[in-house]
Amino acid sequence: EYPESYKDNTNKEKLILAYVENYRRQYVHLFRDRKPLFLNPLNECGIEKFVCTTLRPTLLSYKALYHWQGCAEFVADYLTMKQLEPPQELPMCLFSPSTILKRQLGNCFDFSNILCSLLLGAGYDAYVVSGYATKEICLADESRQICPLLQPKKEVLKEAEKPEPRKYTVKPPRDLRSKFIIKMEARRKKEAEEEEKKKQQEEEERIAELEKPPPDALYGLRIHAWVLVRGGKREVPEDFFIEPFTGQSYPPSSPSFLGIESVWNSTNYWANMQNCASGCKDMSFDLMDTEKWEYMLAGSDQTQIEIPDAEEELYDLDDDEKENEDEKHLDMPATWVLPICVTKNQYEMRCPQGKKTTLYKKAKLEKYANYLLKDGLVTRLSVYDNNELTDLKRVQESFENREDKLTTRVHQGGLITEDFVEGRPRSLQQHVYKASNPGPEAERTMTFFHKARNKLRVDGLCKREETPTEMTEHFVNRDDFLFLRHVLFGKRQKKVAPATAEGPPRPILKITEKFHRNDALSASKDVEEQIFIIHEDKIQITYHREDPNITASTRDFYKPPNAEEKGGSLQWSNDMTNTFQVNPHGSPAKNLAIYENLLQLIQTEQKSIQAVRSSEEEVKEILMDRQKEELASELAISVYDTERNEKAKKHRKELERLAMEEKLRRQEMEMDYLAPFLAQIGNPDKISKTQAFKLKEDCLADLKQRLIDKANLIQLRFEKETSELHKRQQDYQQKQVAMTKEDEEQYFNYCSEAMFRIHILELRLNRHKQMAPHKYMQLEQKLRQDPRLSVYF
Amino acid sequence: MSRLYDTVEPSVIDDEMLRKAVEEQGPKEEAGKIAKQEGVDYCDVLSLRLDFRNILKVDNLWQFTKLTKLQMDNNIIEKIEGMDALVNLRWLDMSFNNIEMIEGLDKLTKLEDLTLFNNRITRLENMDSLPNLHVLSVGNNKIDQLDNLIYLRRFPNLRTLNLTGNPVCDDQGYKLFAVAYLSHLVYLDFRLIDEDTRQKAHSLYENKLGELMHNEKQAEVAIEAEKKAAQELLKHKDAYVEHLNSPVLFESMYKEDPEGMKLSMLPGLQDMLKDFQDKFVEVCMKIFEFGMKEYEKRCKEMREFNTCIQDAEAANKRQAVAVIDAFEEYKKKLFAELLVTSDAEIQERKMNEYHEGVNETWDKIMGLEMQLVDQLEETIKDFERNMTDLMSQLVEYIQGLITQVRDLENSHNEKLLEMCMTVLEKVVKNEMDEELPDDLRMLFVDKDTIVNAIGASHDVHLMKIDNREDEIVTRSGAWLSGHMQKIHADECARNRARVVEITNYIDHLRDEIDTQFMP
Repeated sequence: EYPESYKDNTNKEKLILAYVENYRRQYVHLFRDRKPLFLNPLNECGIEKFVCTTLRPTLLSYKALYHWQGCAEFVADYLTMKQLEPPQELPMCLFSPSTILKRQLGNCFDFSNILCSLLLGAGYDAYVVSGYATKEICLADESRQICPLLQPKKEVLKEAEKPEPRKYTVKPPRDLRSKFIIKMEARRKKEAEEEEKKKQQEEEERIAELEKPPPDALYGLRIHAWVLVRGGKREVPEDFFIEPFTGQSYPPSSPSFLGIESVWNSTNYWANMQNCASGCKDMSFDLMDTEKWEYMLAGSDQTQIEIPDAEEELYDLDDDEKENEDEKHLDMPATWVLPICVTKNQYEMRCPQGKKTTLYKKAKLEKYANYLLKDGLVTRLSVYDNNELTDLKRVQESFENREDKLTTRVHQGGLITEDFVEGRPRSLQQHVYKASNPGPEAERTMTFFHKARNKLRVDGLCKREETPTEMTEHFVNRDDFLFLRHVLFGKRQKKVAPATAEGPPRPILKITEKFHRNDALSASKDVEEQIFIIHEDKIQITYHREDPNITASTRDFYKPPNAEEKGGSLQWSNDMTNTFQVNPHGSPAKNLAIYENLLQLIQTEQKSIQAVRSSEEEVKEILMDRQKEELASELAISVYDTERNEKAKKHRKELERLAMEEKLRRQEMEMDYLAPFLAQIGNPDKISKTQAFKLKEDCLADLKQRLIDKANLIQLRFEKETSELHKRQQDYQQKQVAMTKEDEEQYFNYCSEAMFRIHILELRLNRHKQMAPHKYMQLEQKLRQDPRLSVYF
Repeated sequence: MSRLYDTVEPSVIDDEMLRKAVEEQGPKEEAGKIAKQEGVDYCDVLSLRLDFRNILKVDNLWQFTKLTKLQMDNNIIEKIEGMDALVNLRWLDMSFNNIEMIEGLDKLTKLEDLTLFNNRITRLENMDSLPNLHVLSVGNNKIDQLDNLIYLRRFPNLRTLNLTGNPVCDDQGYKLFAVAYLSHLVYLDFRLIDEDTRQKAHSLYENKLGELMHNEKQAEVAIEAEKKAAQELLKHKDAYVEHLNSPVLFESMYKEDPEGMKLSMLPGLQDMLKDFQDKFVEVCMKIFEFGMKEYEKRCKEMREFNTCIQDAEAANKRQAVAVIDAFEEYKKKLFAELLVTSDAEIQERKMNEYHEGVNETWDKIMGLEMQLVDQLEETIKDFERNMTDLMSQLVEYIQGLITQVRDLENSHNEKLLEMCMTVLEKVVKNEMDEELPDDLRMLFVDKDTIVNAIGASHDVHLMKIDNREDEIVTRSGAWLSGHMQKIHADECARNRARVVEITNYIDHLRDEIDTQFMP
């Protein structure tokens, strides 16, 4: 079951084990009151192995595993944890990573071993640490920790740049308020704030006290193993720990880690010489420091003690001696474990059975492998209001590979928020709606993808907010400078309508449209806001403010009823409009212009109403699409995914099948050159020696005959062709004078063709003569090697 | 077609014709009725058609300032004129007339489409002020020189050209010539220019065209350089130190100084003069550099002042707009309430409330304006003080330097005098080694003459220097007072406009409620 290296030790391994034993004895001798070191546990075959040789640095071909976060997460997800039994003693065994990965079950040492192997493979300066930790860490109990997904992101505070004081900045107006009152006010406010703060602090303290874990009888004795990553390589700025059960990183100062006995990786082993009374807070991880860390193998290049400059010369003198010394050092034997390998399928399944549930403080996180669930769910984070996880507050679901591009869905406070990635028709980005009323004409907000420069939607819509009676649409980058349209709906007229048909659309009471400034027009002609009060037949226009002005021109229109009806022209009367002009000296607009303006506005109003209706329609369509998609919940499969892409798989299988058939057919086609001769002697099951000789003779004779026949045939043709040519030549000599030009040409043509044929025949004959002995030899060779006859030759 | 004069009665553009045309071509139906009622101003008309009217002379069009399209085809016009007021014209059609020369289009800078089909034009000219020309139609004319096409190279936007029916089209190489020289052209004589023709034309005229383009480019570069130099000079002038970075002032001293010129021929003086000039120019250079430095300082100061003023105005405007917006919001709500209540007492109370609100708004925005006026006044005073300081510094420093120049001149003069004395002695004793030019010898007749000549030269030089100094002082003073006056005037105008605006708005608010709700 296991390879040889598992069942036995090589000489070098034996040597190192002796070395280890020596080291252990010295250690025990020097530090009688310290616990034993984790040095040479038994492997799965019951053989003693040095822990350093159990590591095997490996870089797996998955992108996420190139970073420590990915490695830690993978190990934490992939394996199921098993606590040490008893918790205060070192385990007897340490299995190879390949065995652990197969079983998907391991203790903290197994976890750390694999994680460290992966990290070393990815180029990190990583070490396995054997030491002591709190109960929560040892049991991977995260129920007192805030879920990492919920941790508030650290906001980078950007200090607003203070404008430089300018020379001519105007002085602010005088502050006429009483300074004393302001001061008193500020003091009172401050006091109140402090009071509030204090209260809050007390409350926090009280909660923290309540949430404190119960005292642990084995505090400080629980053995644990984790991984240390030292700064320097792979742009890691400073040392940190990775807890392998959860994949979380901790700073070395974390109070959860109580002490360190030893650290090791595939190159060396160090025992800790520092005091751990205050945890790992003040510990130095400078492994070169022989005061603080006692190394095992002196020769390993990592432990090369740095030589101060003054002593360098001295060393230079006896360089040779030093080299000799170096050679004497024992180096680490090769690892005995099988390579770590994780297939794509295993990697994608992640957790055993593809599912994993973790409990955090007031939260529960469920993870699923990609493509495991039909709707593409990969994580579900449920947030609760209490520690008993009964009062559900918020559910956050993330999806992967959805055909409808849904990425997350959040339920909170009766609202559902759905986020999509780019690529949906209509460019939907986010959809917020009430869980109780997902239908149209309800409260909802739809956000659409838009870009600063090129809009993704033709109409430039970026957001649409709705309530049962209102709809607000925001636009960007429109050619007509529209950026907001707000619609107020009235109540539906109650009508007795058949239940099946959709009711009439909601009546529109008011449409407000706002525009950005269009620099091509003068401000007094550039509309800033137009309000169509439809139920009052009124249109209100506000123009943009001219640069220095603080007031804006306005114009109201009172439409005669049924103005929008086609046909019959609109009758004009002066009381249909009411104008306020900012500049009292400017000439008032002509009635003609106002009239034309009104006509145009009436058209615009119709267009706006149409736009509103089509918006309503669009909402309905989007909702319908969403419903359909939710029912189908199809998952997208990449064309490169050879495993899941059914079509590609089928195609490939088909190709394979065809190739197979072709091969079979060809095999059948291959003729048995001995068959006719065997048939002559009646296809005997067993061929006697004389028969075999005879067969050979016959076979060769036959070939010889055929070769001769062929040569004769070619010769015959050659002769025939030559004589023919000769005849024609003579013929030509005689009749040359009397020949017509055509005949002559024909003759020449014939001659050249005949010469060509003769030449070819000649070549063939030569070639045949050359090849014939070869062919004969080949057949003889083949006969000698033929399985049926080979017994006798 | 051109008509004979005696067969048809020529007419002129008069008010009646214009009125009729405007009316006919104006709006129809209800809009037409309105237009008729209140009349159409000629300055609002955008397009006008005056065709088939036997017009002989273009006139009386000065009112149509907004006109963009004018059709005057099929008349008997002989001269393009009377269109200087139509600065917005884009489209001009004067085909089928008797025009003999292209002229009078200088003011029509926005012209894009010009049609002069079927006239008697012989040359393409006088269109330099039409950079936007897109379409040019001069078919059926009397253009007979291919060179006319080269004139059209100055229109970078010209896409369509029509020259059919001109004598020039009989030239065999006409088409290829046109295509080669007018590479932006898309349509020539009603046809799209195909790639084949283009290539052929290009290969045929490649050399000539290259030369032409090279020349054009050089001319362009020269113009560019000239422009740049002019700009630079303008800047120097604004700094009052123009030409002081070159020996112009020094040379001007000698230009109006015949004695000095004569004296400069004196043997041994050349070196001295050279030395004098070097020192002189060096000091001038100092003046120039200082002047430019001060100029930059002034510009910076002005920029800062302007941005601060703009910021203050913008901030004030924001505040005022916020006040007005708040009131408008209140007004809307109040009007809506007033519409639904019918209780007279409540209405009365609301109206009073509204009026009070209007007064309050007036107080607020007027207060803001007053505050801004105070702030700006103070800032402007600061600015004025600083600018005056800067200017006096400039003048003082430059005067100091000019004194140096004067000292140089004085010492030069003394040296010259000394030298002349020795020369005079020699001349008198006839010990002169070299021959002096005659006019110079004339000066060395006696002591008085030479002293007078040197004195005259010296006076001219000093006068020149004094003039330059005076110029700097007066010009800088004039600029400062002018600039400050403008700032004050602008601020005054701004304040008045704002007050008028506020009053107008408040009046409107008061009227509005009365007209809406008074019986």
